[in-house]
Amino acid sequence: MPVALNMRLTGNEEQEVTLTGTLRPFVAEEMASVRSSLEQAARSARGTLCVNLKRLKYMNNVAFLELNRFVRWVAHARPDLRIKFVLSSVIPWAIRKFQVIAELYPAVTIEVYDKALYPTQPVLEDDEFINVLRMQEKLIWNHEQDILVQHGLRPGLRVADICCGLGCFDIFIQRDFRPEYLVGVDHSRPLLRYARQVVSDYGLENIEYQYGDAAALLLADNSFDFVACRLSLQIFHQPEKILHELVRICRPGGRIYITNEMLSCMVGYPNEEVIQQGYKSFLQVSRQGGVDLDMGPKGRFLLQGAGLEDIKISQINVSNTNSDPNDLARVVELWIRVAWQFGAAAGADPSLHADVEKGLRAHMETILSDRGYAVWPIIAASGRKPFRTS
Amino acid sequence: MAARFTVGGFAREWGHCHLLANYLARYVSANEGDPERHATLLSTFINELLEVIYRNHAPEGQIDLIFRKRGRHVVLQLTLPVTEQNRVFYRMAVQIVNQPDLKSWYRARLEEPAEGEDTMLGLLELAAVYTCTLTISEPPGQDRLSLFLELPEVDEMGEV
Ligand SMILES: C[S@@+](CC[C@H](N)C(=O)[O-])C[C@H]1O[C@@H](n2cnc3c(N)ncnc32)[C@H](O)[C@@H]1O
Repeated sequence: MPVALNMRLTGNEEQEVTLTGTLRPFVAEEMASVRSSLEQAARSARGTLCVNLKRLKYMNNVAFLELNRFVRWVAHARPDLRIKFVLSSVIPWAIRKFQVIAELYPAVTIEVYDKALYPTQPVLEDDEFINVLRMQEKLIWNHEQDILVQHGLRPGLRVADICCGLGCFDIFIQRDFRPEYLVGVDHSRPLLRYARQVVSDYGLENIEYQYGDAAALLLADNSFDFVACRLSLQIFHQPEKILHELVRICRPGGRIYITNEMLSCMVGYPNEEVIQQGYKSFLQVSRQGGVDLDMGPKGRFLLQGAGLEDIKISQINVSNTNSDPNDLARVVELWIRVAWQFGAAAGADPSLHADVEKGLRAHMETILSDRGYAVWPIIAASGRKPFRTS
Repeated sequence: MAARFTVGGFAREWGHCHLLANYLARYVSANEGDPERHATLLSTFINELLEVIYRNHAPEGQIDLIFRKRGRHVVLQLTLPVTEQNRVFYRMAVQIVNQPDLKSWYRARLEEPAEGEDTMLGLLELAAVYTCTLTISEPPGQDRLSLFLELPEVDEMGEV
């Protein structure tokens, strides 16, 4: 029975026991060690005992009934103790099953941890944002294509695109790089629905889209040659945690490829000062929402910190002279609204938004003027997973 | 999709339930929008069904498992050789599943677990918690019967 059991004291008032993998015993007796660990934890716990099941992929009813018996035991032996089952919306069978237990015992709650963790998610699923993503992707691809080759992408690889969004990138990759296997993972159903629709409209094959959580991927260790995570590390409070997952699923010798923005270096002339002020305020708004739109230059630092080697950095410059200025201006216009929604979701100071709007409108003007020059810089960074980790 | 295997081979090892469930689930889910999610859920259902079969079958004969699509639902038909005792067990399960207040019945069982009921609870849970429907068909004069399990729409699962 390949189950991993992990006990961790996470604080004075919260203790955590984690079960991962598969829990499908033949008889309850096979659960003895799990039961006794749980009981031991419950005996010493104070406040709340968290039972973390967010990466328990399979569990049969024999195991479930044992957990139920454990809860009953707690209700008797430790009536003061609360139990919290920590679940993930990615595991499709779990929520309904544990809801029953939560309804039966007042001391039990369930927490679907990935619902609470990503407060900006609704912004990302807004129609407006979908338009932004689509336009951005179109603008970036022409410049990113060659850069990907420099970062080790070539035909025939097993590729994972984590936080794939609308999956436009995957369609380009499929067309131009013919991977052996390509999977895109995202935590947004509406975006994935769009992605799947495109794939089926065009009769494309060989792209698999998965609903998943970048912080706890269900993909196997060491199973991809090229792991991409584009314009997304920047939206997480703890990018290191995501990076850890990217490294885990990459095979030794394979590469992790990330792109992130660098809003503080968003330049344009004329209107240079207003533009810079606008993006400075945009950065401030986004930071209040836990997003770092200036993560680009930190790519090297992050990849090195994750233990990668042979780190490569490139800059993707989308400008009004190397791309269609109307598209670029349209994207900037959409950012104004995104910033607004973001600010509202994060409870940011509304006066900041006036600055954002002023600066980004000036940027648009520069982009559309035939004497102006404006750039949207993105930093691409990649590193190789070593064969031996020290 | 259909699979056929002998009771003897299948019931030799408990791990077969898990392996078969995952394998079949993955196979059946290949053309789904999100094959991984679909397969994980399907495996949960198939596994529970196989575990019940593992514990309740006649000593010899063949097991047939057929997957059909009815609209957006998967219907599983499992035909197996049974003894009289097995027959009573499956009839009882179907009877309980189709009682009007299955949910409260199931909750009561969790609150006051009775000895020896665990096996059946696995099957009943599919109906009580996941709203699967379970029916039985017993061709006269045969020592085989078929269970039909209609699964809920996978897309609706996992929502809070
Ligand atoms: C800024 S978008 C980038 C999308 C795409 N890579 C692109 O370049 O267009 C960030 C994406 O991360 C996804 N996301 C947010 N939280 C996630 C999580 N925990 N796991 C997986 N994806 C997540 C969002 O749904 C969104 O599609």
